[in-house]
Amino acid sequence: MRTWRGLVGLTAFFAFWQGLTMVGIIDPFMMPSPISVIEALWEMALDGSLWINLGASLQRVLVGYAAACVVGVSLGLLCGWWRVVADFVRPVVDALRPIPPLAWIPITILWFGIGDMASYFLVFLGAVFPTFIATYTAVRGLDRNQMNAALCLGAGPRLLFADVLIPASLPIILPGLRIALGIGWACVVTAELIAAQSGLGYLIQQSRMLFQIQNVVAGMVAIGLVGLLMSLLLERLERRVNAWAPSERA
Amino acid sequence: MNQMSMIAADTPIAIAGLSKIYPGQRGGTAVTALQHVDLTIRRGEFVSLLGPSGCGKSTLLSIVAGFQKASEGSVLQDGVPITGPGPSRTVVFQDYALFGWMTIQKNVEFGLKAKGMPARERAEIARALIAKVQLSGFEDKYPHEVSGGMKQRAAIARALAPDPEILLMDEPFGALDAQTRVLLQEEIARLSSDAGKTVIFVTHGIEEAVFLADRVVVMSPRPGRVREEVLVPLPRPRTAEMRADPWFVRTVKDLWDTLKPDWQKEQGQ
Repeated sequence: MRTWRGLVGLTAFFAFWQGLTMVGIIDPFMMPSPISVIEALWEMALDGSLWINLGASLQRVLVGYAAACVVGVSLGLLCGWWRVVADFVRPVVDALRPIPPLAWIPITILWFGIGDMASYFLVFLGAVFPTFIATYTAVRGLDRNQMNAALCLGAGPRLLFADVLIPASLPIILPGLRIALGIGWACVVTAELIAAQSGLGYLIQQSRMLFQIQNVVAGMVAIGLVGLLMSLLLERLERRVNAWAPSERA
Repeated sequence: MNQMSMIAADTPIAIAGLSKIYPGQRGGTAVTALQHVDLTIRRGEFVSLLGPSGCGKSTLLSIVAGFQKASEGSVLQDGVPITGPGPSRTVVFQDYALFGWMTIQKNVEFGLKAKGMPARERAEIARALIAKVQLSGFEDKYPHEVSGGMKQRAAIARALAPDPEILLMDEPFGALDAQTRVLLQEEIARLSSDAGKTVIFVTHGIEEAVFLADRVVVMSPRPGRVREEVLVPLPRPRTAEMRADPWFVRTVKDLWDTLKPDWQKEQGQ
């Protein structure tokens, strides 16, 4: 039912857009109609350029995001568990966090040149903070009584970590990881606009220079759809893992 | 066996000169939660700690559990100082503190898993305990799928699973409705009597304290200290009709009369 509503919403959006171009409110040169965008997507799918660039972007986002998850979750666990560590780390994080990934691009190019490494780094920067904050918040908010219950039942560090700390934290960590992936995906495109020779961002940039506006929008649509798909997949995973949690039962 | 160890063997918990002082936060005044508490608990004894909020009864329980440290004095279990929580002293919490991500079966198995018991064996023991607290058929339910009373039954089974020497209950029926509370009181009376466990039961319910305990330790607030002790001569296991026993009725009333000023003071604050 909800999937159905989502499809109706998307269809209505595209229909509205198509309508605007057909009655001439939108100049098709400035904003091509959805049908010509779909045609452009289809052509890029047939000649393979869509897949090559999509693959390059996905590979970059996965590497950067994986690194962000490892660092963000570990640091979040450490800071959540030991207040002293948080006292040292949090000011640094809170000072770095407001710097948008875009502002990191010049120095990223200086450090890594133009290539995959620059993209990994920018994705990492975009995704690591929400991952950290979610994990930190989750561990901070753990129910003291549940911890005590586990301890008095004889739980050692390993059982406490694997059977209590982690599952109790997941209802807050997983939505954070989902948001971080969305940000990472946006960052990879940003990075590719400037600091890469392939990927969906690069495709958009190249098409703009060639005045292939329908390809620019086709690239944007591809980014949006892939982002939507990622979000849906992670949300489904969340619902399974956190089925017990109040937040998933509302 | 010398005399000292015999005493130790008979008194699983010995509390002497126990004080707990919380230092004031940011220049605030320090709070004395417990002052010079002496309390000895015999093996197999059911002791109720009774008092209004602020009398330190939960703090005392938490120190015996090993969750908090005493500021002064000693707390010994079988003659050995208590330094932290452990499976010989398991706790039943007011808010159940069940693991929401585990089924009731897995919750009850937790303490056995911590011991390193093989999966099949612990499943068997847990099932038997679940039957004992009358939750058979609910093994595969998650805590959020069952009622408050059932949650607390599950929490009791979980606390009994590691076969603790002492069961610590911290206002376990505080969050339940009156009828469920009465039913669970009778359940606890039966279980504790069957299992022969030493129990420390924290409550602010006078009737509940007297109904369940061999000895009621009455505490008073600010600073928390032991005010008096009442020995309960009723036989065990306790049954519902004992609530009508003249001694029971009179004792509950007397305790209410002595505690009333404390209660009123706490309400007024």
